[in-house]
Amino acid sequence: MTDNASDRSVQVKLVLLGEAAVGKSSVVLRFVSNEFQPNKEPTIGAAFLTQKCRLEDRVLRYEIWDTAGQERFHSLAPMYYRNAQAAIVVYDVTKATSLEKAKTWVKELQRQANPNIIIALAGNKIDLVQNSTTGSSSVSESEDEGEPDDATATPGEAGGSPALDTENVRQVSRDEAEAYAKEAGLLFFEISAKTGEGVVEIFTEIAKKIPIEHILASTRGSVGRGGNGGRPGASQQGDVDLDENANKARDACNC
Amino acid sequence: MAAIASQLRNYKEPGKEQLTHLFFALPSADGKPADPSYANLESLDVNAVLSLGSPGQEDSYAGKLYLFPPFLTFASLDRKSARFSIPLSAIRRVERLNARAGIYALSFTLWHGTKIIVQLTSLRPTADLFCTLLKEALKVELSKGQMKALKAFVKTCYSESLVDSSTTLSASLVKDQDQEEDKDSKVTDDSQPLYHTGLGHRFKFPGDPKKLREASKIKLWTQYLELHGRNLTLLRYPQCTRLVQVGLPNRLRGEMWETLSGSIYLRFTNPGVYRQILDQHEGRTTTSTEEIEKDLHRSLPEYSAYQNPEGIDALRRVLQAYSFKNPETGYCQAMNILAAAILIYTSEEQGFWLLQVICDRLLPGYYSPSMHGTLLDQRVFESLVQRCLPTIHEHFQAVDVQLSVASLPWFLSLFINSMPMVFAFRIIDCFFCMGPKVLFQTWWVSWIVLSILKINGEALLQIQDDGGFIHLMRDYFASLGKSAHPDSPDPRARAITRFQELLLISFREFVVITDESIQAERRKHRGEVVHSIESFSKRAAVRNLKSLERFTKEQAGLIYDAWYNSICAVPQGVKDTRLEGRGAALLVLTKDEQEEKPETRIALPTFRKFISEIVSWARDDKIVQNGFQTRVDRETVEHEFIDRLFAFWDTSYKGSLSLQDLVSGLDGVMFNDLMDNIEWFFNIHDKNKDGFLSKDEVLTLSESMLFIFRNEVGDAYLGAISRFMSNAFEYGDALLPETTSEGSPGSDGTPSQIESNQPYLNLATFRMVVLADEVLESFFDQDFSGTFRLEPTPLEELPTSNSGFLSGMWSTIATNDNKKILNKLSDEVARTIGRHKVEHMPAIGRYTTMEEPKARESLLTPSMRHSASRSSLNAQETEPPIIQIPTAASASTSSLDQTPTTPPKTTKSGHLAVEPRTPLTPGSAIHSEFSPLPIVKAANAALLTMERTPFAIDDAKDEDDDDDEDLTTDEEFESGDDAVLDEVDAFLEAHDSGLTEDQKEVAKGS
Repeated sequence: MTDNASDRSVQVKLVLLGEAAVGKSSVVLRFVSNEFQPNKEPTIGAAFLTQKCRLEDRVLRYEIWDTAGQERFHSLAPMYYRNAQAAIVVYDVTKATSLEKAKTWVKELQRQANPNIIIALAGNKIDLVQNSTTGSSSVSESEDEGEPDDATATPGEAGGSPALDTENVRQVSRDEAEAYAKEAGLLFFEISAKTGEGVVEIFTEIAKKIPIEHILASTRGSVGRGGNGGRPGASQQGDVDLDENANKARDACNC
Repeated sequence: MAAIASQLRNYKEPGKEQLTHLFFALPSADGKPADPSYANLESLDVNAVLSLGSPGQEDSYAGKLYLFPPFLTFASLDRKSARFSIPLSAIRRVERLNARAGIYALSFTLWHGTKIIVQLTSLRPTADLFCTLLKEALKVELSKGQMKALKAFVKTCYSESLVDSSTTLSASLVKDQDQEEDKDSKVTDDSQPLYHTGLGHRFKFPGDPKKLREASKIKLWTQYLELHGRNLTLLRYPQCTRLVQVGLPNRLRGEMWETLSGSIYLRFTNPGVYRQILDQHEGRTTTSTEEIEKDLHRSLPEYSAYQNPEGIDALRRVLQAYSFKNPETGYCQAMNILAAAILIYTSEEQGFWLLQVICDRLLPGYYSPSMHGTLLDQRVFESLVQRCLPTIHEHFQAVDVQLSVASLPWFLSLFINSMPMVFAFRIIDCFFCMGPKVLFQTWWVSWIVLSILKINGEALLQIQDDGGFIHLMRDYFASLGKSAHPDSPDPRARAITRFQELLLISFREFVVITDESIQAERRKHRGEVVHSIESFSKRAAVRNLKSLERFTKEQAGLIYDAWYNSICAVPQGVKDTRLEGRGAALLVLTKDEQEEKPETRIALPTFRKFISEIVSWARDDKIVQNGFQTRVDRETVEHEFIDRLFAFWDTSYKGSLSLQDLVSGLDGVMFNDLMDNIEWFFNIHDKNKDGFLSKDEVLTLSESMLFIFRNEVGDAYLGAISRFMSNAFEYGDALLPETTSEGSPGSDGTPSQIESNQPYLNLATFRMVVLADEVLESFFDQDFSGTFRLEPTPLEELPTSNSGFLSGMWSTIATNDNKKILNKLSDEVARTIGRHKVEHMPAIGRYTTMEEPKARESLLTPSMRHSASRSSLNAQETEPPIIQIPTAASASTSSLDQTPTTPPKTTKSGHLAVEPRTPLTPGSAIHSEFSPLPIVKAANAALLTMERTPFAIDDAKDEDDDDDEDLTTDEEFESGDDAVLDEVDAFLEAHDSGLTEDQKEVAKGS
């Protein structure tokens, strides 16, 4: 695990929080493996994944803690967000309560976590509300959906109702969430783990805000830069490799 | 959350008896009383030697034979070689063996024909008694017709058909192919097999049956079960444990899990309950069912049955049934994975009871809303690592890696989604089988984890962070099927898989961990865990309040503490629905039809306790002095007024209050000024909220005031109330026409008789009546809000848990009950020597005599003392002049002849309303009323010290520690009447602005 690549990169501990079944794990899976699984097993405790990506001439190594969403796992969360430099608080745009839960997470992070933590608010599952939606984000990039998943539902939405009018499916308007994010000083995105829309952007924007120099200065001996082609690689199951699969990752976050 | 943590507080270590029940996995082990018909049957244990009736191959085991109606159980001395738990109804025949003198032996013929001989080696009388009790218990069992139930029940067990087929078609028993085995069972039961089967029966079991050596395992088990009984009558000999350790055969696995874990006894004693639960709650949705729904397709999704409605439906039913049966636990993620795994091997009903046993007994508190069991065992586990693998522990400390980040899911889902399934199931086999450690049920899991850490020791010492740790573990689990010694020249060594190596190491190396040491660890960490959960839930609860109202966060925290304390103090029954009958359920987890989070709400009895923590008149503080101690006995009181308050704050009409309700409710009274208080008091008695009090309500209101004043010294308040009543009715009658026509008094109307339940007195009039009385005005102005106090209430200490031999005993001794007994005892003694004194502590304490200032002084909390010292200066300056000294009798007598001199002025606003006071004051002065009100805002703080203004009867001025004010007052007494007018002026000037310097001067000067 402690491959020499990690010595040259900046480690960023990032934690995902949010209500159950909003798609936290799927967001991570999309980012790390560029995959999507319609029925992901619920996260018990937390899952850990890593992903490297390049930001300008720096290589960041995201250490991603994907936490369990169910309320009762809440008390375990501090174990995971301690020392985190960044957090993505995920809600489900088709579920109003999930934004409420997200707000409590934000509150808790702002109070309990690392004071300089960078928090991003992400409304997931916009694929369910797109098509005719007015308020939704401008779809900047059309992702190649190479994945074989044709599931009609996003994770946790199994048996959901994609047949419904997309207007009605959306329960959290972009404006509302964005206004909140602004007020609370959060980065804000609407994303879809299923299509991949917006996922990489989040990690990119977070990376931009991470005080890299500061971290470099504080972590012993990890100077250096990702000289050998820091193309973001998909790290599979505990096997981080910078170059392998570089082509698999899309334009990823080599911004 | 808080409510659940209260269960933590009330945690009691299981007693010896209960431990034994746990050991034998008896249905009563969960603390639920068994069938009441067994209640009067006694339990008894005797020393005994167990041997099989068919002589020969097997050893005899010395141990203990227990009678726990309706069960007969045995455990060998080492508690692991041999044991059984057999329902009495499975005993066909008991004979006293005619043997040589001195040998007392019983022969039991069990349901399945097994014969066992138990030699009772206890003293003769004990053995005789045992036999008598056994006979009685058997009779009861017979009369209940349990044998019939048993006959039907055993048919549901796969082992029956297994053994049957082996006896009838002994040769063709062992077949590799599933289909052929299916045929086997069809030979015995022509139609559908009667025995319960899991999803694996139809959707194939995970793993390759050849590789798992299913056939030979089945063969071995069939032989074992034939000889040693099966399902309900299984005798667990060492051979049984060995067979479990090599992995149970798939077809038998479900039943053996049931039998080994004891869930089979639950299924046996609760026939049809599973279906009943489902029928009862059909169509109901709760938070749990919603959460379950989210996860159904996420439970072992790669297993074919769970890609099929059949499997999904079964899983849904089992999880829902569990959540309905255990609303306080409901549903926790990870249970879905467990249940999905179980259902591969068991029927729904079997799985349901097995899940019950896992969640209640084997992994206690793991899935509860606070997950305290998980947190606790993680701590225990970490300390085990520290002890057993110190180098790894040190390294982890050095690189700041938390073990639980990886180990938590292992414990929660028993490796099912961490290891390849075939291996996880083998660990679960052992998990159910390894009974002796009844307290740390997860010791087996811990062994495994310790072994995993040990095996990977060197690699672990290289890791630098959490991530590395997790990756290492993941890789290790993925390689479990590989050879542990791939390079070994010895082919036998090469054949050993890593998984086998893991089991070997865990059996061999960590046997040193004893039940006792685990217990000690658990005790050590329990308090810590409880506290962290408590403070966590407190923070969360305060943070999640929709509104803090005007309270600070600290104050809200204090409200939370009082709330939490009351929940802990009042025994709670948890209920998932709304209250049906008052007092039936005390704690409510609501789940409305709308999407609402379940929240903890308290019902009336808990509210009484809560309010007594905060409001001085809502409790009876009795100062008890005997020769030995001075203490305050705080008692909760019941009164209609408190019930009324409860209903008043229950703004959503749920019959229960949430923390938010309490915060908002308290906000509605604690920041009030005179006018607010009067209005508040009016509203709380205006039940139909029409803006009028009926005559009845006026009376109720008076009773409420009487209640509030019940512990005050002297007659002042009594007088005030009687004045209030006469005034109220006088004004009320006089103003009747106006009040009936509109909200404010003003004009015309036709006076009439009015029904006692008809609108009668409106707020304006009520206000007038209150303001017409100095005592009441003063009460509403300063005292009332002051009776609500948020003070740090130290949580009751957790039972101190010094580990060791005596701790158990101590915890049973140092209970509250015993403390009460001790108090009572000392009271008795004091009474006989005439030194026993009990007095009520006044709730307001404005007018008091001083009998035992010392005692009261000691009641002050540090914060009170602090505020007392701060305010004492103020009090000295401001208070004396305004106090009028009444004579003892005047208060009550004069009240009657006092006539309302106040013209019914309009009282448009709080400010205006003060005006009626001017004409009134002389009147009250003439009647030599005391008017302690005006400037006392500043002195309000001094009230906290329960400063005593002199009262006529108060001649017992024997203590003057804090009597400076009183003395001054005494001096002022002479000039009292003259000063009144000055005072009133001063008061009017400063009514809203508090004390000015001038006033202080005035006050001083007068």
